[in-house]
Amino acid sequence: MGFDAQHRQLVIPKNPERRAAFKAGQRAILQSLPGSATWGLVSGVAMVKGGLGVPWAIFMSLTVYAGSAQLAALPLIATGMPIWVIVATGLVTNLRFVIYSAALRPYFVREPLSRRAALGFFMTDFTFTLFMRASQEGWLPERHRDAWFAGVCANNWITWQVSAITGIVAASYVPTDWGLEFTGTLALVALVGPALMARPALVGAMVAGVVALLAHGMPYRLGLFVAAIAGIVAATLADTWGVPRKPRQAEAAP
Amino acid sequence: MNAPIEGVALAIVIVGLALSTFVTRTSFLAAGARGRLHPRVETALRYAPVCTLTAIIVPDVLMHAQHADFSLLNPRLAGVIVSGLWLTFSRNIFGCLAVGMAAFSLLRLAQ
Repeated sequence: MGFDAQHRQLVIPKNPERRAAFKAGQRAILQSLPGSATWGLVSGVAMVKGGLGVPWAIFMSLTVYAGSAQLAALPLIATGMPIWVIVATGLVTNLRFVIYSAALRPYFVREPLSRRAALGFFMTDFTFTLFMRASQEGWLPERHRDAWFAGVCANNWITWQVSAITGIVAASYVPTDWGLEFTGTLALVALVGPALMARPALVGAMVAGVVALLAHGMPYRLGLFVAAIAGIVAATLADTWGVPRKPRQAEAAP
Repeated sequence: MNAPIEGVALAIVIVGLALSTFVTRTSFLAAGARGRLHPRVETALRYAPVCTLTAIIVPDVLMHAQHADFSLLNPRLAGVIVSGLWLTFSRNIFGCLAVGMAAFSLLRLAQ
């Protein structure tokens, strides 16, 4: 089977069983789609009000496809930070996906590389969370899991892109002096806020915030990285010291 | 403050951000049969987004002309506080944005 046939099979599977799995995946994500649509819309509005032109915002939405990294990059783009600072900030914001990727690997290790890469790129917070819940609660299909997850990711991608582009176009009609660019900052607050319920995250965020203020004058916005690293170290220490060691148990093999 | 990034530089930034998404999401999925995350590394990676985003938000909200403005009359600070309070009893993001924007706009118009 050539790459093209294989690839087409991933997106719209021809085999009836795989097709059924794909459609089951599309149905399984339905409950999460309102959340996805909301974030897409907010990211779209924030991109345009953060200063990106409509074509650039659409290009960013289609290629980057990571709301938090996009929101994090916007203030840095608006204030003309060096390119590497912006890309590195996006990379650090995306680091959680390395954990997701490692968690998903055992499920797809037998799939061809191109399919694993495609499933990886289209994986987001929402689709990963759904996949792991399905696995833990025992309703992940036994066969054609790749087709099932492709269905999950397809619906999530379409929903996010449609709502992001809606937000981009709608925001371009809103006058700049409404101050809507501040929605980008508030969206970041909404991302961070719930995560602070975990005490190590709260410790890390407090350290990162204080260091970010103290180091604000550093050149090339290095203060951002100094602050982030200080926060990560503090959170990791708080996590290691604060929680009683769990007895080592074998990880559940999928 | 520098001019916003545009043109070719903006294209490079966006492609770079897209690569950062691709590299992190495919990392372990695309790797061969070997390799797993050390627990300590996994812990650090888990807290990286929260710490980075906080390090962006805090100066963005407080710094004003090279000075930290802790006054509750600072529109951005007031907006963030009101949004944060909203989040303690509801996860609804539209409500969070609405109350934050309302506080921000009121104080901005009052000044």
